[in-house]
Amino acid sequence: MTTRELEVPATAPPSGPVATILGPFLPVDRPEPRTPTGFYTDTTICIGCKACEVACKQWNQLPSDGMHWSGDSYDNTESLSATSWRHVKFIEQFASAGTQGPSRWLMMSDVCKHCTAAPCQHACPTGAIIYNEFSNVYIQPDICNGCAYCIAACPFGVITRSNLDGHAHKCTLCYDRQRDGLVPACAKACPTASIQFGPIDELRDRARRRVEELKSRGTSSAYLYGDAPTENYSNLHSFYLLVDRPSTYGLPESPFNPWLRMRGDYLRSLFGGLAGIVVLLIVWTLRMP
Amino acid sequence: MPNPVELPSPMNAAGYATRRVTKPPNWHELVAFDMLFNNMTTGLFLVAAVGDLMSRPAFAPLTRLAYPMALLFLTIDLACLVLDLGHRFRFHHMLRVFKPGSPMSLGTWSLTAYSIPLGLLATIEILERVGIGGVPTWLRTVLIVSGIPFAMGSAMYKGVLFSTTSQPGWKDARWLGGYLTNSAIAIGCAELLAIADVDGQGPVLSIRTSLLALLAINLGFLVALRAELRPVFRTLKGGPRLDQMLILGAVVGVLVPAMLILVSETVPAIAVAILDGIAIALVLAGNFLVRRSIVMLPHHENDDGVVGRWDGGS
Repeated sequence: MTTRELEVPATAPPSGPVATILGPFLPVDRPEPRTPTGFYTDTTICIGCKACEVACKQWNQLPSDGMHWSGDSYDNTESLSATSWRHVKFIEQFASAGTQGPSRWLMMSDVCKHCTAAPCQHACPTGAIIYNEFSNVYIQPDICNGCAYCIAACPFGVITRSNLDGHAHKCTLCYDRQRDGLVPACAKACPTASIQFGPIDELRDRARRRVEELKSRGTSSAYLYGDAPTENYSNLHSFYLLVDRPSTYGLPESPFNPWLRMRGDYLRSLFGGLAGIVVLLIVWTLRMP
Repeated sequence: MPNPVELPSPMNAAGYATRRVTKPPNWHELVAFDMLFNNMTTGLFLVAAVGDLMSRPAFAPLTRLAYPMALLFLTIDLACLVLDLGHRFRFHHMLRVFKPGSPMSLGTWSLTAYSIPLGLLATIEILERVGIGGVPTWLRTVLIVSGIPFAMGSAMYKGVLFSTTSQPGWKDARWLGGYLTNSAIAIGCAELLAIADVDGQGPVLSIRTSLLALLAINLGFLVALRAELRPVFRTLKGGPRLDQMLILGAVVGVLVPAMLILVSETVPAIAVAILDGIAIALVLAGNFLVRRSIVMLPHHENDDGVVGRWDGGS
């Protein structure tokens, strides 16, 4: 088989300007729903090796972010971005020099939270952001037009628009690997099983048992973040076991779904418009020559 | 929520707590212009349509220019929307789904639907101007009536689009939609006054009076909006400047034009058109300043030197 045959499969999708314009409008078969999957990240056993970051970049062929020294502990990635879908965070909680006291490192591998009711998916006007058959939040790169509304909507600051292709990007939860029955690259690479992948219900049970275990060993501050819905936000398909406040890890203390206020906002908008029209009607009725 | 562990003099015990969690979207001046032109087209159409339906003979000379101008502003608005995309040749992807729950989707469909009656009305007006008439009145009325809900929807969605995000300031701006939709009517009235002044016809006095009333009401919406944004302005490093810009926008875009309109009642007729022209220009300039102040909110750092701080909503 020649290289050319490898590059052009027999069932090559139609190409050309017409196909480019009409392609996104063609109906496609929706895959059958599968068992919902997700990540459970136990931060108490993260060692900050960044193997997850490297594995993610390697599998997803994400370009380098350049060599930049942030001066912020070992965190030179700094934030999730269009080219960094995993971000290991480092928190140094040490006593001052010359003093005694408890000290510790906190480390956490951050990623898209794959919210059950994702504001980004709700916002997306093109339908590029979908829940795939594994109930993961997935951006279809051939549909996204880079409007950036998902970026504005995300309360976790996950999604970023790439300067390379102008589209929004984030973790796919290794959709391609999952379809082939493989574990996402980050979870596969994690040497301590801090990042665990699997059916979301199983992960939640496992995580709750782990919290109980930690508490029985004296880590009373252990708790789960995002395993259950709150009044203002859905549960997350990528949830965390934490031992300090969420904000310490760069997570919102109490995430809020912006869509909860949409109806009231529309009513106030309508009121503003109607108030103007009523003024016109009154004035013009009274003062029309 | 568990209590944080007590640690003496930690180096960076707060970790990432001082960093803003959310990322600002790539929206800048172009979006402020988009907001303005959205209000310029929808406002002009709505005001002209109301006048057209109320008294066709009185407003006919004005709508002859108003609908084509509204179409021009819509074209500029759409150009802003397209240019702001990361992938400009994919604007039409917005039309592959209809998601009423997404203000941007609803807005795109509203603008698309609005463009049809507006385009037809503008064409009819242009044809009549060059002497090719004969369009039945009922057809005009149908086009006007069918355009009103879509023009209203197009004006309404923009504020809701911003207030249903997680961005500092925007997410707190409950009256942003109300303010923008209301100011669209005020802007539209100002534009119609400009047409009346230029054309020398139409119920100029009535339009001027209604503009005065609309500006007064719009000031109320702006005061409500500023009250919501004030705490955010205080926490941002560039917040006071943005606040000043918003106040300047209120003065330039509402108070001074209102005063000029009041003064114009007492000056000779020849000076009225000049005062009107200045007032209308100031309405547009002031409205741009307010919109720019709002659009730029998430791009400003917090006082502690980091790009904002998530307060968890309320």
